[in-house]
Amino acid sequence: MAANIGILRRPIAPTGVWGWMTTVDHKKIGVLYGVTAIVFFVLAGVEALVMRAQLAQADSDLVGAEAFNALFTMHGTTMVFMVIMPMGAAFFNFMIPLMIGARDVAFPRLNALSYWLFLFGAILMNVSFFNSSAPDAGWFAYAPLTSTEYSGSSGVDYWILGLQVLGIGTLSAGFNFVVTIVNLRAPGMTLMRMPVFVWMTLIISFLIIFAFPVITVAITMLLFDRFFGTTIYDVSAGADPLLWQHLFWVFGHPEVYILILPAMGIVSDILPTFSRKPLFGYMTIVMAGTVIAFMGFGVWAHHMFTVGLGTWAISAFSIATMGIAVPTGVKVFNWLATLYGGSITFKTPLLFALGFISMFMLGGLSGVMHAVVPVDTQQQDTYFVVAHFHYVLFGGSVFGLTAGLYYWFPKITGRMMSERLGKLHFWLMLIGFNMTFFPMHILGVLGMPRRIYTYSGDQGWEGINTFVSIGSLVVASAIAVMLLNMFRSARVGQPAGNNPWGAPTLEWAIPSPPPHYNFAVVPTVRSLYPLWDEEANVVEPPELPHFDETAIHMPSPSYWPMLMAAGITLAAGGLLVWQWHTIFGLIVSSSSGLLVLYSIYRWAFEPVIAAEALEDVHH
Amino acid sequence: MGTGEPKRMQYIAQGPEADHRTSTGLNNRKLLMWAFLGSDAMFFGPLITTHLINRTATQTGPTEDIFNIPLTTISTFVLLISSLAMVLALAGIQRGQMGQFRFWTAATALLGMVFIGFQMTEFAQFAAEGLTPRSSLFGSSFLILTGLHGAHVTVGIIWLWSIFFTSYTGKIKQANSLDVEIAGLYWHFVDIVWIVIFGVVYLIGAFGVEDRLLEHAGAAVRLVG
Amino acid sequence: MQLDHGTHGAHPTAAVYIRIAVILTIITLGEFGVFYLTGLSSAVMTGIILALSSVKFAVVAGYYMHLKFDNWRFAALFVVPFFIMLLILIVLLALFSSLTR
Repeated sequence: MAANIGILRRPIAPTGVWGWMTTVDHKKIGVLYGVTAIVFFVLAGVEALVMRAQLAQADSDLVGAEAFNALFTMHGTTMVFMVIMPMGAAFFNFMIPLMIGARDVAFPRLNALSYWLFLFGAILMNVSFFNSSAPDAGWFAYAPLTSTEYSGSSGVDYWILGLQVLGIGTLSAGFNFVVTIVNLRAPGMTLMRMPVFVWMTLIISFLIIFAFPVITVAITMLLFDRFFGTTIYDVSAGADPLLWQHLFWVFGHPEVYILILPAMGIVSDILPTFSRKPLFGYMTIVMAGTVIAFMGFGVWAHHMFTVGLGTWAISAFSIATMGIAVPTGVKVFNWLATLYGGSITFKTPLLFALGFISMFMLGGLSGVMHAVVPVDTQQQDTYFVVAHFHYVLFGGSVFGLTAGLYYWFPKITGRMMSERLGKLHFWLMLIGFNMTFFPMHILGVLGMPRRIYTYSGDQGWEGINTFVSIGSLVVASAIAVMLLNMFRSARVGQPAGNNPWGAPTLEWAIPSPPPHYNFAVVPTVRSLYPLWDEEANVVEPPELPHFDETAIHMPSPSYWPMLMAAGITLAAGGLLVWQWHTIFGLIVSSSSGLLVLYSIYRWAFEPVIAAEALEDVHH
Repeated sequence: MGTGEPKRMQYIAQGPEADHRTSTGLNNRKLLMWAFLGSDAMFFGPLITTHLINRTATQTGPTEDIFNIPLTTISTFVLLISSLAMVLALAGIQRGQMGQFRFWTAATALLGMVFIGFQMTEFAQFAAEGLTPRSSLFGSSFLILTGLHGAHVTVGIIWLWSIFFTSYTGKIKQANSLDVEIAGLYWHFVDIVWIVIFGVVYLIGAFGVEDRLLEHAGAAVRLVG
Repeated sequence: MQLDHGTHGAHPTAAVYIRIAVILTIITLGEFGVFYLTGLSSAVMTGIILALSSVKFAVVAGYYMHLKFDNWRFAALFVVPFFIMLLILIVLLALFSSLTR
């Protein structure tokens, strides 16, 4: 077809930056996700620190109102879409194929596309800072506030377009992991022999593919309103101001389960390892996760108790919300029962897992309070809500993901993280986190509203706010310790070996870091804990004297995913240009669209394994 | 859940189309397409819901009285027949009858283009009578819904023409019938969505409004004849 | 090993497909006819149209998309979100109709 020469030549064994840009290896893609997520974690953290600096004192003018709006909008949007979800994706990518005994995911190039769409979409949204028009209408961007009439600057446009690009990447990943987990399990690995982390990933992949289309519709209609003058959210044309809220939260509630279930999965796999005991009630935990996911589609209006839905509606949603606490509580009891009677080793992964359980429980308790409508009526839009969701998302998801980081860092890099620094990180984080967010419950009960850039000194909130801001500095120091630990350990950490924790699941059967083909021989699985059961299922070199590594053909690298992601992002960005300069914008969007179409065609006819790779069989 | 030999995988697909490299015996790409179609249902659902909410809330301009049911019935029929053409195309390639396959693939794409033609005529007529995406709530939600459906149809048309022309390069053979099957699944889904839209948005939506049967029938006959 | 006997012998013939197309056409004409029956209450009409459209949906999905003969997992992937959406649609319509206009 097209000339296959020079830079257009399909890469076969690329190195360096080009190697990373064209990789389709799930392990490399996982590392890309992880590093990028950490960068955005620091960025969103800085946004938070600036907010806390502003709020530390009453009547402060460190940061103006508009800038503050942009800060809390970007902090929330970044943390949800560019930190927690991608950090989860980092672990899905690296670990899922290893845990199910596969050599890669079902669609390696689609996997790469998901990553590049994440990076480019995140950049698109954050570029708005340089334009002095960062999104500023909250991470949930309620219409009609976000209509052109009330949000005339282009900040909301960046939010919409950035999120569309991010959304395509997330959806692609969701599809990929559904097919991977359903179809690529090693022989003998029935669904009931999968690690809980794999189950949770399967469940949230379904949540992603069923919930993300709803927000896609909501923001597409907002996009049409803002760019093409349609009237979907236009109150003067008769639109109901609640339409956006319903659509957003129909997506938004499943989204928070997408954020928490992977962390629960990580904890469910860490506890048995460090208690040297099987997980208590594996089946119950799996079923609880499934029930939570289903019910998650039925509780969305609990984010809207104060808008005037009517008594029947709020009663129904209140009961459903209380109901969803039950399977969650079931999981907590199962975790505790796993620890009980176990032979516990207090390594850093377990510390963060314990931190997860306790902090998430506190968040769950404030959540159950929110379920009670009269109580929620006072709490809505106050700092009580901020406290609740930070307990579940930070105390929950972030602690859980951090536990995963310490647990799997040895497998990913081949080196152990420092236990001393890890413990310091943990205690600083636990103390700082509670210093920062516990007092927010009190602030909420005292009536301090959310999303205000300053407050008057005679409200009586200043002392607590100052304390909270100091706490945020402790959190920042904890993160600094974490980064130090990661950098140092990656270079000079103790070599890890295959299974430093003595863990039972398949990823620990192979070297750290794994060879590019993962398993020399695809394992046959006979139990839920293959490495703990006497019949060793996994046979690796050097027990395989005739093992020929070159006989295993892995999918070849490709640049089409990155090009296609660039095309999609430029097509979205072209709309922004169109607003500024019509013709130029049309040129950008349409040529990018053509690039996307061309990429799809070339990708479709590109063989998974390049012909040249198959030629080098016996070298 | 104890240890022991691999449990009997009782539900693995068998038969000539089973893919023995996968845990379920199902082909990865076919599974992907079905997952995508399930997801796409959650895309059209909110669009239809928004329209059903908006149709009673709209304040100005024409609403369902502007519909030309006879004309839309014809275009619905066209899309239904295109699904027939699609399965015949698939049958062709599954039996190795490449001529049949190419003919019916082109027929499907052409019928799809006829459907789009009908849609565009309809929209032009509506615009002339004062219903545009900007004119009212009804206009916005109806045209965004049908417009996005039309975009889905267009993607399908491009896909089918790509298959048609690529089949002449030898890259699509009987062994690739799965690729055609997957394109077919997408095409039938788009037809199904239209079945829902036609029933719910057009027929149920317009029921009981002023009877313009004769006028519409006349316009339809003039257009088609 | 147990075999999944999903009628996987020959595919339906062209005659079957054409018959299905005829059925779909008849149902569509039926819907068209029902639309012009001015004597019906809108609730009854709605019920009839929904029923007829559901039949068309099921027929296209079952025969043209081959779900009737294929593995249950494909149908599950398609049907489950459909029901989730149906429930959400019903709830939203109820919520929006109870607000005063």
